[in-house]
Amino acid sequence: SEVPGTKKRKSRWEDDELKFPVLGQIPDFLKELAGGIEFDPEIQGLNIQLLEINRRLQTGQFYDERSDGGFRSPSPEPIYDNLGIRINTREYRAREKLTRERQEIIAELIKKNPAFKPPPDYKPPKLYK
Amino acid sequence: PGMALGMGDGMLSQVEIPTKVVCLTEVVSPNELKDDEEFDEIFEDMKDECGKYGSIVNLVIPRPKPTGEEVPGVGKVFVEYSDTQGASKAKAAIHGRKFGGKPVVAVFYPEEKLLERDYGG
Repeated sequence: SEVPGTKKRKSRWEDDELKFPVLGQIPDFLKELAGGIEFDPEIQGLNIQLLEINRRLQTGQFYDERSDGGFRSPSPEPIYDNLGIRINTREYRAREKLTRERQEIIAELIKKNPAFKPPPDYKPPKLYK
Repeated sequence: PGMALGMGDGMLSQVEIPTKVVCLTEVVSPNELKDDEEFDEIFEDMKDECGKYGSIVNLVIPRPKPTGEEVPGVGKVFVEYSDTQGASKAKAAIHGRKFGGKPVVAVFYPEEKLLERDYGG
């Protein structure tokens, strides 16, 4: 005897939404499964930086040609290793700098994201000063 | 006999084989079912909610007889789906949800029993 257009009576079913009323009630392990921590913008930013550094190290683009605007500061006095090979070339210094940055980003990721797996070549920094 | 793998009773009772029929227990009281209007509402609520998870081919809500004669299955709701996927989805979604304020218990029920109008199981 329901008249069309009348307001529908309320169902006896409890509302769907009440099952998980607050996101905070979802257990942490489920949030991690859903990739929750990966959405942290800070961690995302670090991940992107790490990927970029990996790419530059792998492709040999140790320095960004655009960043110095064509201006280069004077080269330091050359340093040679015991085989007589110069070790403080521009490439060498740039690669060292990138490698250091990479280690720092990985250390940061390990600290911020317990689920992060460091690459096999990563060595934790020495604990003494 | 029938106790495969030497598991304890407690373990075996946890194992459920999916069927096309979901039985909701402890959902309705004989008093609500006696009233025609309430029965219609309950039937409609069940059809709406359970229909979200698959296509329903049969919906049975046993009603108490006016004579007061004992009827098996009163208090339960049987929902038969066209496939076990629908039944599994419904069981997972509905189990623990509240109907009329009471948490619903959802279990699989053998198709043959429903066909034979055996609601006692």
